Amino acid sequence: MSTPLLDRAAALPRETVPPLVDLVTALADNKHALGLRYGEWCSSGPTIEAGVAATAMAQDELGHARVLYGLLEELPGAPRRSEHEWAAGDARTVAFVDRPFPSWPHLIVANLLVDQALTLVLETALGSRYLPLRQRTRKLIEEEQFHAVHGQGWLLQLAAEGPRVRSVLDAIIREAWADAVCWFGPDRGGALAPLVAVGVLREAGDAVRRRFLRQIGPLLRDAGLASLLRADGDGWVPAEALPWAEWDESRRRMRRG
Amino acid sequence: MQRIGDEPVYEVFARRVDGEPLRHVGSVAASGDALARVYARSIYDEESWIELYVVPRRAVIPVESVRTEAVDAHA
Repeated sequence: MSTPLLDRAAALPRETVPPLVDLVTALADNKHALGLRYGEWCSSGPTIEAGVAATAMAQDELGHARVLYGLLEELPGAPRRSEHEWAAGDARTVAFVDRPFPSWPHLIVANLLVDQALTLVLETALGSRYLPLRQRTRKLIEEEQFHAVHGQGWLLQLAAEGPRVRSVLDAIIREAWADAVCWFGPDRGGALAPLVAVGVLREAGDAVRRRFLRQIGPLLRDAGLASLLRADGDGWVPAEALPWAEWDESRRRMRRG
Repeated sequence: MQRIGDEPVYEVFARRVDGEPLRHVGSVAASGDALARVYARSIYDEESWIELYVVPRRAVIPVESVRTEAVDAHA
């Protein structure tokens, strides 16, 4: 017998609402911030094509944020958000997207790590029992495929510029690394575990992190930038223990200061 | 891998409806096929194409052209 769908917020088990609100808020806020950050490079990318692609990705991300804010409106206790009333001080964004990217390599690292981490979490909702989430996910994932290709292509191109650029990239990756790799939650998902238990998400925590590292590991190795992870059997693991003591589960970011 | 600003050119072709010939709609410069697809999608998506292709300019074989050298220079 198949598990019945949860077709509205009122059908969600009570204990799943706060973690779902936290997750959707953080997904939407990060996407909104990414959209703003990408958009700031619309006329200053290294090539005309790159600027136009950044603009297209900005449109995608702002659209994704709008869709996810719509999902929040149906959830009790959700913070008030809309694309017209963006309150950056209250934003649940990772630090890397809080401020304008100072260089094109920063945009590419955000594209590769932050954007793709959010996408992998969204992918775990593709078959969600919570129908409003499931219905909104597929188109977002389809558009993100182009963002992934963009990040991968540009990382390899920048890395091929030589050791000086690779050194710059390595430092930038370190800035974004902990937030991106911890975004899936600790162990079996931490605060996201109740969402997995009832089928709102397919999986969380280590399972998603392994997929993320398997995706970026070979790319970073080929780019000569794999100092933060190492091959382990048929997968990849972080080279150093992740800083879980600094991780804020409800805001889904490293604590600041 | 080409240096930034020195990427090869890809010609972009598209078709709006079944039966219509593929037509040349523009070009993009990209370091590889994957990025060329991303750029073509970003730049030439105003119309509802049913097909959109990128072709490396170096793969376009001149049959008769007084501008053969100019084309080759950017391939």
